Amino acid sequence: MSNSNAIELHDVDKTFYTRHIFQKHEDTGRRRLYEKRAVHAVDRVNFTIERGEVFGLLGPNGAGKTTTVKMISGLVRPDAGKVFVDGLEVERKRLKVLRKIGVVLEGTRTCIWPLTPLENLSYFGNLRDVKGPILKQRARELLDFIGLKDKMNVQVRRLSRGQKQKLAVCIALITDPPVILLDEPTTGLDVQSSRAIRDKVIELTHERGKCALVTTHDMAVAQSLCDRIGIINHGALVACKPTDELLDVFSEQTFEFRVDRLPALDGLAAVPGVVGAEPCPEDDGPAFLLHLVQDEATRSAAMYDAMDWLRGAGCLLRSITRRQQTLENVFLRLTSEPRPARPDGE
Amino acid sequence: MGFFLVMKAELVRTFTIMRRYWFATLTGLIMGWGMLMVLIIGFMSGGGEMAERLAGEKATSGALGLVIGMFAFGIVGLFTQGLQGMARTGELEQVYMSPHGLVTNFLARSFVSALSAIFTSSIMLMLVAASVKGRLHADPLPTAAILFLTYVNLIGFGFMTGGLVLVFKQTGQVAVLIRLVLVGLAVVASEAVQDWPLVARGVAHALPITDAAICLKMVVVQGRGMGVFATSYFFFLLVSCGIWTSLGLTCFKIMENWSRDKGTLGAY
Repeated sequence: MSNSNAIELHDVDKTFYTRHIFQKHEDTGRRRLYEKRAVHAVDRVNFTIERGEVFGLLGPNGAGKTTTVKMISGLVRPDAGKVFVDGLEVERKRLKVLRKIGVVLEGTRTCIWPLTPLENLSYFGNLRDVKGPILKQRARELLDFIGLKDKMNVQVRRLSRGQKQKLAVCIALITDPPVILLDEPTTGLDVQSSRAIRDKVIELTHERGKCALVTTHDMAVAQSLCDRIGIINHGALVACKPTDELLDVFSEQTFEFRVDRLPALDGLAAVPGVVGAEPCPEDDGPAFLLHLVQDEATRSAAMYDAMDWLRGAGCLLRSITRRQQTLENVFLRLTSEPRPARPDGE
Repeated sequence: MGFFLVMKAELVRTFTIMRRYWFATLTGLIMGWGMLMVLIIGFMSGGGEMAERLAGEKATSGALGLVIGMFAFGIVGLFTQGLQGMARTGELEQVYMSPHGLVTNFLARSFVSALSAIFTSSIMLMLVAASVKGRLHADPLPTAAILFLTYVNLIGFGFMTGGLVLVFKQTGQVAVLIRLVLVGLAVVASEAVQDWPLVARGVAHALPITDAAICLKMVVVQGRGMGVFATSYFFFLLVSCGIWTSLGLTCFKIMENWSRDKGTLGAY
């Protein structure tokens, strides 16, 4: 594995089996005495995360995000493939790997409610081999860093959900691990708490050189937080690119033309390099959308030809704007595609 | 070294919660003693053979059996219902991610639980003994040795049932039944076990509490001191310890890996 990579997944595969006794089959409607069904949670996934990088793993519910996180943290054993953390293979050196990772799993019951945040950090610190003055100092620093210093002696059961989530992040960081895994860390949080956690992750990665894997359903958080994004659907990684590049690649090369009057768009669609043209409802005067090909040279020529065609048609051109793609649109487009068939036929 | 650090963490956690919820701890203690007393007084006031059997030494022996039974109930429960509860709340996954491993964590957790159970049970037992004018013999060495072996025995048994619960979460309910059997056995366990039918005798010796309870009653109630080490029950206890510990730890490791395969470690 490369020295700069903090996490590497090579052809990681995981299938879970569910057993059903005397249950009605969805398609046939017939009951079977015993049935074993396979669910491909993770399907030959490959990706790497570098040190100092925030990697976002996005996907709909049941896509395989949490299973991937659990395989990296050793909670689930992969059927095939290898997972490396900081150069160590998880299955071979699991206990050593656990010293290098801090994990926040989905849900708030990752801390002990009758204890205070300080006592929780002390307890989990001891469980993870941090002790003495280092533990005390680190616990206070973390609580200060995350904004829970004034609540450090209040029982966790009295804290809000956001504060519990912040404490879960502190617990994950008590060993000062080089790798942080955050499974939906902002779910159910208010805007302030969500932003606070996002800012802390950026600080930890970009300023302190740690690597973070974040799974989230919040596209805004993903777009503003992650350096690179992987989209997982039906267990398979369908895209994995730097955030800007992902948005760029999936931009449809659609341009919005504002004119003084709407021309006959059929003629415009015949221009070489134009994929299609359609009217665009706009409050601020007539406008239409022009879809162009991906190839840059052809697209440039098509743009000039389209402008010439508009001039020929006697239209006054007011403005041209490129339609910006959002991560949400890219996500919806990629995850709406049907599950690809596996070569083994399953 | 790691075990002691984890044990320290568990000790601090347990006693912090006990101190914070002092009223619940105290009322639990009073209720435990009260229930034992009601049971004993109820039988004694009934008169006849039962009252004779439960007077003085017999009552203390019965109370000790019940206390040992409750100790077994608690220790095995930590691995069954306790583990189920931890899986339900997500705490199990957190503990699993400790670099000391699940076995060390559960060993430390059960050791602390045993310490606190021995502490509270001793107080209860002394109260019962004083109340029924029974007598307890203080022989620290044999008592400590038998308590330690009882703990090891129960831990081995607990690891086996806990391993099963890791994969087959619903077996936790069956474990309640097994725990109740352990309580019953601890109460009735006496040297009369040798007169039981062969199968019943075999089952009694195979379960981890019978010989431990008999040995402890010999030392604490009958005052046989070091003489207990020369009895066949002590030998059975030693053999049982070896078998249950190795079987339990092996089963737990296998089930832990199976649970990781099935993805049921943190699920209920």
